[in-house]
Amino acid sequence: MKGRSAPCLFIVAAVLVPLLLDPRGYWIRVLTITLLFAAMAQAWNIVGGLANQISLGHAAFFGIGAYTSTVLLLKFGISPWLGMFAGGALGGLAAFVIAIPTMRLQGHYFALATLAFGEVMRVIANVWTSLTGGPGGLSVPFVPPSFLAYSFKLLRPHAYIALAALIVVTVIFQAIRRGAMGYRLRAIRQNADAAEVIGIDTTRVKLFAAVISGALMAMLGTLYAQVAVFFDPDTVFGIASISIRVALIAIIGGVGTAAGPILGAFFIIPLEEIMNGLLSSRAAGLSQLVFGVILIAVILWQPRGFITALNSLRARLSRKGAP
Amino acid sequence: MSLLQAIIDGLLIGGVYAVISIGLTLVYGVMGIVNFAQAEFLTIGMFVAWFAWAFLGLDPVIAAPLSFAVAFAIGWVVQGQLIARVLNAPSVAQIFLTVGILIVIENGSLLLFGSQFRSVTTAYQTVSLSLGPLFISVPYLIAFSMSLVCGVALWWFMRASWFGRAMRATAQNPAAARLMGIDAGLMYRMAFALGVGLTAFGGAVILPYVTVFPGVGGQFVVLMFTVVVLGGLGSVAGAVVGGLAVGVIQSLSALFFPIQLQNLVLFIVFILVLAVRPQGLVGASR
Repeated sequence: MKGRSAPCLFIVAAVLVPLLLDPRGYWIRVLTITLLFAAMAQAWNIVGGLANQISLGHAAFFGIGAYTSTVLLLKFGISPWLGMFAGGALGGLAAFVIAIPTMRLQGHYFALATLAFGEVMRVIANVWTSLTGGPGGLSVPFVPPSFLAYSFKLLRPHAYIALAALIVVTVIFQAIRRGAMGYRLRAIRQNADAAEVIGIDTTRVKLFAAVISGALMAMLGTLYAQVAVFFDPDTVFGIASISIRVALIAIIGGVGTAAGPILGAFFIIPLEEIMNGLLSSRAAGLSQLVFGVILIAVILWQPRGFITALNSLRARLSRKGAP
Repeated sequence: MSLLQAIIDGLLIGGVYAVISIGLTLVYGVMGIVNFAQAEFLTIGMFVAWFAWAFLGLDPVIAAPLSFAVAFAIGWVVQGQLIARVLNAPSVAQIFLTVGILIVIENGSLLLFGSQFRSVTTAYQTVSLSLGPLFISVPYLIAFSMSLVCGVALWWFMRASWFGRAMRATAQNPAAARLMGIDAGLMYRMAFALGVGLTAFGGAVILPYVTVFPGVGGQFVVLMFTVVVLGGLGSVAGAVVGGLAVGVIQSLSALFFPIQLQNLVLFIVFILVLAVRPQGLVGASR
């Protein structure tokens, strides 16, 4: 199979690169965050890419995961590994609750409703001070390093955990896409009425995608909290910092494909980091301004994402290669 | 009595919400594009009015037409050069193009003007008229009246002028409008420029009671969407009703809930309206 070589190459590279980077350094942090965002965009892709429902509120589930594991650790000393599953369950539940009123909405309406839902969660996290610490944020408490306690001296284990998470989420995405559920989701995307007529329970299928996506997103929130060590409501429930960025990564890479979110994350996150490093000392706002300009340019150049450019390039190459 | 007072305040604030949101609904109604950058034009309008006040000594209310003109010009270029290219692209590309424009405007103004908060001082800023036991804040009243004038002018423009009718024709059926000799591209530019101009106008008239800084638009994004969704996305008359409703909801919820929860009530109303009546409270189903 020709299509297998690229993923294998990627995994081998991703396993080797953390060994080469300075374990206390800056770049291993960038790599870890990039892998995490790739996994988040992949989780978003289950709803955004397969069901074609553009969610702008995935920060809601992400924040639930970050807060659940951290609060469980702070108040009861429960290991974040278990907290991760508790967060995943709550994230899935939240996705279920919000999916009920929004599922029938299409296009812009769905995007707007999920945007508002993310904001609801942000406001609640800011106000519910006794649980979340309010706007002041939460610090993940220090525990002696051990794998079971999900505490490490260096960033290298975090990079591998993020890589494992990306692989798991991508495998789930592929399994859904290739399986019967993927056909149903695609049928709904192309023509919801026709899908209903041929006997697909569109409500149940969309609900399933939403819950899986929300639960995965929440579990990734726990991983993020363990890497970041400190976070506040405006970061983990943020529109710009999470919801829009995650959707953007998937869209820039190529919505609905397994490679898209990974391409997008490895473009966007390092780009942002490099620009912050180069430009933020010169003037506030300059790096984000340049980022916005690049975003506009990419969307005008490839409205369907990098993956189409890549595919057409590959097609051209193979045509030339053929005798 | 405080209930009545809250309703009056809400209606006055809501009138301005109506005008800043008409721009958003106009752009959607004519082109079918949800402009996430719309609130950034509110920021632009506020900055123009602030500089007009600081350097020319103009009252923000007098400077409002200037804000309109600057935003109109920027909108004309943005529509012609950027948005026109994605009119037939997938809706994700449209959404994220306007998000890109949002990022550029917000950070451009941060770069140009810095992050400090700026406000104006006017003679009428703290004055209020007393009507028996009720008070009517003069800056609210002035902003409301200016919005009313602006809304009526738009209504006349859309209804009576050739451009307005051509724009509505384009919204209804672009192909048929083209056959009638209407330049659809020109109408789109006109609608977009007019829409962002109105939002900037609203920004100028609220300057006496809202401080301006590069992120101020972000505080209005969900509010503006709530207004247009309440009224029905694309409906100008709906935006007026939605604006007044949002103003009243905001000021009533301030009576019963702590100030931090004010927006929460709004967001929940927003989600409920979307779930129950996505075509808006006044809109007919289309």
